[in-house]
This record gives sequence, structure tokens and C-alpha cells, in this order.
Amino acid sequence: MDPVLEFRSVSKRYEQEGGEDLVALREVSFSVPEGRAIAITGRSGSGKSTLLHLAAGIDVPTAGKVAILGRDLSRLDEGERTRVRRDSVGLVFQFFHLLSHLSVLDNVMLPAWIAGERDRDAEPRARELLARVGLGSRASSPVPKLSGGEMQRVAICRALLRKPRLLLADEPTGNLDDENGRRVMDILLRLGGEEGSALVYVTHSPDLASLADETWRLGSGVLDRP
Amino acid sequence: MIRVFLRGLAAHFRAGRTLLILSVLGVALGVASVLSVQILNGSALGAFEGGLRAVSGEADLTILGKVPTVPDAWVREAMSERGVAAAWPVVRTPVKLEGPGGVFLDLAGVDVLAPVWFPWDVPPGEVAAALGAPGWAAVSEKLARERGWAVGDVFDVSSGSRRVRLRVGLLVDFRKVSPLAGDRLVVLDIAQAQDALGLEGAVHQVDVKLSPGASRAEVGERLARRLGPAAQVLTPEQRRSQAAGLLSAFRLNLTALSLISLLVGAFLVHTTTQAALVRRRAELGLLRSLGTTRRQVLAILVAEVALLGVLGTLLGIPIGYWAAAANVEAVSATLSNLYLLEGIGSLGLEPWVLALAVAVGLGGAVAGALLPALELSRRDTRALLAPFSLHERVGKAAPRLAVAGCAILAGTGVWYAGLGRGWRPAGFVVALSLLIALPAMTPWLLRTLCGRLRARGFGLAYGVKALGVKLGTTSFAVAALGIAVAMLVGITVMVGSFRRTLEVWIDATIRADVYVTTESWRRARETAVLDPAVVSALLRLPGVRSADRLRRTRAFSGERRIALVGRDVGMPGGEGRFVLIEGDRADAIRRVAAGEAAMIGEPLARKAGLGVGDRLPLTAPGGNFEIPIAGVYLDYAEEHGSAVLDLSALESRFGLAGLTNVDLYLEPGASPERIMDSIRGRFPDAPLELLSNRRLREEILEIFDQTFAVTRLLQGMALLIAVAGITLTLLVLARERVSELALYRALGASRRRILRVFLGEGVGMAGLGILLGVPGGVALAMILIRLVNRAYFGWTIVPSWPVAALARQAAVLLAAAAAASLYPAIRASRTPATELRRDDL
Ligand SMILES: Nc1ncnc2c1ncn2[C@@H]1O[C@H](COP(=O)(O)OP(=O)(O)OP(=O)(O)O)[C@@H](O)[C@H]1O
Ligand SMILES: [Mg+2]
Repeated sequence: MDPVLEFRSVSKRYEQEGGEDLVALREVSFSVPEGRAIAITGRSGSGKSTLLHLAAGIDVPTAGKVAILGRDLSRLDEGERTRVRRDSVGLVFQFFHLLSHLSVLDNVMLPAWIAGERDRDAEPRARELLARVGLGSRASSPVPKLSGGEMQRVAICRALLRKPRLLLADEPTGNLDDENGRRVMDILLRLGGEEGSALVYVTHSPDLASLADETWRLGSGVLDRP
Repeated sequence: MIRVFLRGLAAHFRAGRTLLILSVLGVALGVASVLSVQILNGSALGAFEGGLRAVSGEADLTILGKVPTVPDAWVREAMSERGVAAAWPVVRTPVKLEGPGGVFLDLAGVDVLAPVWFPWDVPPGEVAAALGAPGWAAVSEKLARERGWAVGDVFDVSSGSRRVRLRVGLLVDFRKVSPLAGDRLVVLDIAQAQDALGLEGAVHQVDVKLSPGASRAEVGERLARRLGPAAQVLTPEQRRSQAAGLLSAFRLNLTALSLISLLVGAFLVHTTTQAALVRRRAELGLLRSLGTTRRQVLAILVAEVALLGVLGTLLGIPIGYWAAAANVEAVSATLSNLYLLEGIGSLGLEPWVLALAVAVGLGGAVAGALLPALELSRRDTRALLAPFSLHERVGKAAPRLAVAGCAILAGTGVWYAGLGRGWRPAGFVVALSLLIALPAMTPWLLRTLCGRLRARGFGLAYGVKALGVKLGTTSFAVAALGIAVAMLVGITVMVGSFRRTLEVWIDATIRADVYVTTESWRRARETAVLDPAVVSALLRLPGVRSADRLRRTRAFSGERRIALVGRDVGMPGGEGRFVLIEGDRADAIRRVAAGEAAMIGEPLARKAGLGVGDRLPLTAPGGNFEIPIAGVYLDYAEEHGSAVLDLSALESRFGLAGLTNVDLYLEPGASPERIMDSIRGRFPDAPLELLSNRRLREEILEIFDQTFAVTRLLQGMALLIAVAGITLTLLVLARERVSELALYRALGASRRRILRVFLGEGVGMAGLGILLGVPGGVALAMILIRLVNRAYFGWTIVPSWPVAALARQAAVLLAAAAAASLYPAIRASRTPATELRRDDL
């Protein structure tokens, strides 16, 4: 069976105006099997976000191969990559990125709308997810009324709505205090586990990293895994 | 600071090429729309003044009759008045140039031998020598070139059923002496002109030059007293303002149009500058956080926008001139059809019009930028990085603005019901308050309507819902569209209702089978007289059952110039010609036919406040008299008022001066075409114009449509707002919402879906504008029909709803909106997911 996410000798360089290219990732190879939780740590600028962008098919590598569920992203065009992301990847961001003009429920429903799913099918699932993160009663609240931790829980529901096989989270607790960060991380891990999604998350906190099945380190674009 | 400015500018040019081009184009179109209408407005008056000055150039006073012609003995009378240095007679009338093309010449007869002013600078000896030649005429070089004439060539003109042969005696450039003179001026010796036109002992006006030191007012008064009530003594200024008064409705049209164009221009300039500023927001925030003062930031912005204004203005001036040139023919045709004036020969670009264009372009750009710029420079630097606060503020202000809008409407309503009613322009104030209230209510309506919308899915509806969020940007575009739609709907409904009413009126009153008049009637009216021999032959034609003989002339009722018609009022079976809105028809016809009374048209009744039972004052050559009014009839032909007398009564009061029209009613079964052929056969050489019933109806409607062709220009402007406004607004939105769009992309939205959301926003804006504009337009139509029309024209217009035309216009607007959204939508759909920055959203 294909791994959920596979990197094979992936490099990413950014061209810089009037200077040497900046190498953000260097020959990174790994694979993430189904249901596994991986924490990635590393200094600022070490290439963590770049790695997640490549994993999500938001960006393309300069060299090497990225595959999701065995599908080589470099062989897909932009539209097909978008579809793979839509159907198989859930994203959680440091800054939540909720839309303030939509209600909590509508924010969670957004991926279903984007995928052209019927409300009838998606809405029970969205409500169920909200209940599971303890926000069942807030479904019709406006987003700006929520606290940071609540916002991130909504964002997690949004990421999980369409049962993605791969969850990617870039510093999901980076904007929360320790206590809230811990709660959010617990929820992310619990829900990811219950749904059987593989989870790759970036964190600066050794405590939170220790909650994962494995912890990998990125240093100057080179992946260091035990 | 300068360096920062120049750097920013350079980056600006490189990065936002499309936006920059659009910005400059927006300003240019704004400038052009104002300029073109102003040029046309100015040239229309200029054409009249030119004709005036070309013939009466040096006269201090002009004596005109309150009746069509005045006795030439008035020249001697005038000369013997104290303070008069010289007086000379003038004959002036439009004549039809024979041959195809419907060309009219402006024939002027002056006393070539008198030591007075001429519209040329040729030595008198040269002219005098030519006097002996019959038909000698001076024509403009341009006309000669156009027609291929040389000195010595002959040409025929007609006045009424009379045809005259003229000879090109002298080629002159009238413009050398009076720069605005028309090309169609033809100058004859006065004796020859009188002869040619059958004016024995009569002229059209007497021009007077005063002795040095004499007071125009005093001499004028003495002359008026000496010549009696049939004379009008006018200064050139009075003549000009009289003409301006005659043209008032026409100029009202153009002025309204120019106000609208000003609005459109201001909107385009404003949206454009706003668009240009949005992209600088983050950069300005940075400058501010690095310690740039507010004043410096403001200076940078104003300088930048001023540059935009200059570029736009430079481009807009030629576009505006071109647009005016493209429309001059339509305006010109209206002038000569409706007001019997010479068309516009040349477009004048007066300095103040240019100044206005610059003010609109530059001033509009700077003013449009000032508010956002002040806001940008004042706002604390942190907030500059977040583009949301403006929308929030508009959102917060929305209910208050809506209440203010309602208050304005209510206040104006109360004012009109109380004080405003008696004031002529009150209707415009009400219309204006509507146009102010509409945009004030827009943000609240937008927020409420879009907020209510349940977006179930990520497509068109989702896009529309998003409009309610970016109020700061969208309300402007939607409000402008709403106003444009309201004006379009208002004027379409008004014109549609008017046309429908006119059709009904035509059906009732255009009853004769064949209408006989002369070719020159179209322009010359009362001087275009039918030969009595022709008339009596017409009446005896086999197949003709009865005839309505008409003499249409102009007369004065007090100081009011009206059209006076003498006709066979009692013609058997002709009752249907009069649709009375006041008075009993049978009784009125009987009394008028007996010469005891007159009927008046609705505009005169409304303007002079006259009705059945009142007496109509009239000025005849013999003096003033009054006649009872027996009825008020619907009249859409004469906006300045008209009255009908029986032909015999008119002749006994005004003298025998010949008929201008004969309307023939045929025996049942007789063919109008056959009768027209036989008339042409009988009078092969007479310059008669024959119209069948059908053709006359068509022609009236054609003239109507041409007069209101202005609506097409309005529609163009609404489209312009829709297209330019929507494109610019969506570009602004796409830029403001990069992060949001990137989020959609990150969540797996395909380009096509984002394209659809943006198309939804564009079409949604148009839809909301229509939603807002239609009720506004209906209200505006009622204001135009009930208040403005009543005050300025005095017509009865029955409202009718041209639903099909309105639906078509809405469809065109929506389609244009979709097309206008396409480019920004494509740009938006190309937003990469990597643009998901940390701080926005
Ligand atoms: N679009 C880009 N163009 C050029 N350079 C980039 C781009 N995106 C990232 N980089 C560079 O690549 C390197 C890795 O960036 P990345 O954002 O992956 O780091 P990170 O590990 O996520 O850091 P942080 O912990 O601060 O988020 C950095 O040096 C960054 O400057
Ligand atoms: Mg990062």
C-alpha cells in the first residue's frame, strides 16, 4: 500500500535577485504511512513551511518527487494538484485563517462548498465535528466573537471535514498560550487519530513535539530523522 | 522624500501596469464625458448667436414685429426718432435650396446701398456695381465650394410655393467679420429679396444704430411707444436671452446631461484613484512606521494622484472632442427640426470648457484621493497593514447613512408639499434629493441584503454574499450603478410614456389623408406660403371630400410668443382633430367656427394659467385684442404654446397672408397615392411637399425619437459606469483579498471556481445596482412626468411602462457586468496559494 505522503530527494531553491539561489530544502526523503503523527521542529528559516507547502502541492519542488497516496504531484498539472489537495489534504494554519464574514458552521462547510458537495451531506458531518471539539453550541456564532483557541478548533474541523488522509499543520499552536496550545494539540491528535489521518505538524515546542509518534528535525533544509 | 516618491512611482508603473492604464483611462473617460456635452451645449447657443451677429452685427437695437412682418415704413419712422443715427431694413427667412439633400439656406436681404454695416469687408463700389444684376447674391466661399459654384452660376431656391432663381454674385468669407456666422448665409439686396419673397412693403426687422451718447434704453422705449403694440424693440442681449428662452427646454436636456456626465466623470475618477491607492496601503504603512510624517505621506499621495489626473486629462480632451464631433449631427438636427434654427456648423472649444475639463480631471482625481489619502496618512501605522478597518467603518456608519437618506427624502417631500410647489425648478430639487438619498442608503441595503443571503456553495451566490463585507469598496460601485440605472430607468419610462401618449394623440388628431405643404415649410413656417391658385386647384381635385385650410403663424400673447393657427375649424366631420381636456368640444368648435372664441393648447393653458372662460390676449398688426377661450386641447407640437382661431377670424384680424398647409380628406375608396400623383402632375414645378397620413405619423415619431436620442447617450454612460466601475472595483477587491483568495486555493478551490465567485461578485454588483436603481428610476420617472414636465413643458403625459425595453437594458447591463468581471476574475483566479500571508484575513 502506498504511503500517504512520500518525499524522494526533494530539493527546493528560491531564486534571489542578484545573488546565489537560496536552498530551502536539500535532498529531503521520507515517507509517512497511514495514521501516523509526525512532528517537525527546527529553527526559523530552516525550511519547515516550505516542506509543508510542497507536501500540500501548493508549491512544486525544484528537484525530486513528492507523492500523495502514490500520486506523483510533479506529473500533475496545477488543476489536478488542486484537486488532490482538495480531496486528500487538510490544512491548519498558525493564524487560523477563518473568514470573518461567515458563521462558524459556514467556515467549517467551506471545503465542502468548494468541492461542490451537497449541503445535506456535509452539514451533519460539520455539526458533528464541532460537537467533538466542544463547539456544538457555537455553530451559528460569528467568527470574530471566538477566542483564539476556539478559532483554531474551528479551523481543525474545517481541515477534517472532507476526511482527508493527510493533515498538515504549520505551527497550529504558534498563536496560542501554552494551555490553549496544549488543548488544541490534543484535539488535533485525537481527531486525526480517530479519523485515521496521517498528521504532519510543525512546532517549536519540544513538549508538543513529544506528543507525536516521531519527531524530525530540519536544519538548514536538511532533514534529520532518528 | 522626493526619492521615495520617484521610487514608489517607478515601482507603481512596473507592477501595476493594468491598473495604471485603467486609472488613466478612467480619468480620461470622466473628462471626456464632461467635455463632449459642454462642447455641444456651447456650440448650440453659438450657432444661434453666430446667425444673429452675422446679419445684425453693429445694430444697437433691433425692431421686430409681434406679427410676422413689419411695414418698411418703420425704417423712416425709426430714422425720425431722436437718438437714432441710422436704421435699415432686413429681410430674413430660411429658403429651401432646390435639388436633393434637403438643404436650407439662410436668406438675408439688406440694403446694399445704405451706408450701414455689412457682413463682409468688400469695398462698397464692387458690391453696388452688381446691383443691377437680377438675383445677385453673396454666398460663403465654403457653400460655393460644397456645391461646386463659381461666380456667375445660378441656383434655385424656394419659399412657400414660390421659386426664385439666384445668381452667385460674390464669394465672401462671412466669418472674417463675424466668426460664428453660418456657412449657409446668402445675402441679397433687400429690394430683390422682397420681390423674390412676395413681401410688398414689408420686412422682417429693422436694425437701428444710435447716435453717440444716446441711451439704448431711452431710445428703445421711445421707439416702442412710437411704433405701437405690434412692435418689439430689443437690444442684442435681449434677443440672445429670448433665443435662450426659446431653447430653454433643449438646453435643459443638455444641462441635465452634462450634470450626469459630471457625476459619471467624478465617479470614474474617484474609483480609479481609490483603486490606485489600495495597492499602496502596505507600503505607506511601512513608510509611516519608519517615521515618515503624515504630511509627507499625504504629499506623496496627492502628487501621485495629480500625475494620474494630468495624464488622464491630456488623454480625455481629445476623446471628449471626438465624442462631441460624433454627436454633433444629431444635436444639430434637433436644433433645426424643433427650433427652426440653423444647425451647428462648427464646434467651438472655448477656454472655459477646457478649464472645466482640467478641473474635473485634476480636481476630481485629487478630491477623489483626498479622503482615502487623509485616512491613510492619519490612521495609526499598524492598522494600515490590515485592510479591513475601512469596510468596518462603512459598515458601522451604514444604518446612520440610511436614516440620513430617508430623512433627506422625507424632508424634501415636506418642503415640496409646502413651499416648493410654486417654484419652477422644484421638481429638480426633488429629483436631486432622490439621487442623493439613493447612494446614502446603499451600504445599509447592501449589508442587509447580502447578509441575508444564505450562500450554499462556493459559486455565484457566495460571491454576492461577499459583497456585503467589503462595503468600503463595493458600496461606491453599487451606488454609482444604482444612480445610473435610476436615471436610465427614469428617462426610459418618461420617454416611453411620452411616446405612448404621443401615439395616442397622433391617432386621434392626424386624420386627414393627404397633407399638402411646401418644401420650405419645415424651416420657414409662416413665410412658406402656398399660392392661392394652387390651393383652389387642390380643393377642386376629384376624390377630395373636404379640406382643412391652415395658416400657421406666430403671434404674441402678451410677452409670450406662441404659435397661432387659423384653420377651417367647422369643417364637417373634423371634430376628432381636437382632443379637449377642458371645455365641451361641440360647443367649443361651434363658437370658434363662428369667430367668437379661440381654443388654446395645453402648454399655453398651463404656462399662462388660462382656461375656459378666460380671455386670450393677442397682438395683431392693428393692435391688441382679447378673445374668449372656449376650449383647451392636447398639443404636443408646440412646447411654447399654441392657439387656434377660425381661418376667417384670423384673416380678418391679421390680414390676408396666404395659407401654409392644406389637409385633404378624401372620398371613401379614393387612394391617397393616386391623389398625390395627380397633384404632382398638375404642379410639376411647384415646390410642394405631399405627405400621406402614414408618412406624417412616421415623421412625427421620427422627430420625437431623434429628440430623445439623448437617452442612448445615457445608456452609454450607464454602461460605462457598469463596465469601468465593476472592473476597477473587482481589481481592488482582488488585491485587497489576496490572502482570502489564497486560502480558497489552499483549501482546494480550482481556478474555475474562483473565477465563478468573482463573476458572481461582478454580476451581483450589477444586479444590486439594478435592484436599487429600478425603484429609484420609477420614482424619478414620476418626478419627471408630474413635476418637471408640468413646470417646464406643460404636457399631459400618461405613464406607461416599457417593460420590454427595460428588461432589455437590464440584460445588457448584466451581460456587460459579466464581461467587465472577466479580466479581474481571471487575475483573481491566478492568485497562488502561497500568497497566504500570516497577518491578513
Ligand atoms: N517565496 C520565497 N522566495 C524566496 N525565499 C523564500 C520564499 N519562501 C521562503 N523563502 C526562504 O526559504 C527559507 C525557508 O523558509 P520557510 O518559510 O520554509 O522557513 P520556516 O522554517 O518555516 O521558518 P519559520 O519558523 O520562521 O516559519 C527562508 O530562508 C526563507 O527566507
Ligand atoms: Mg514557517
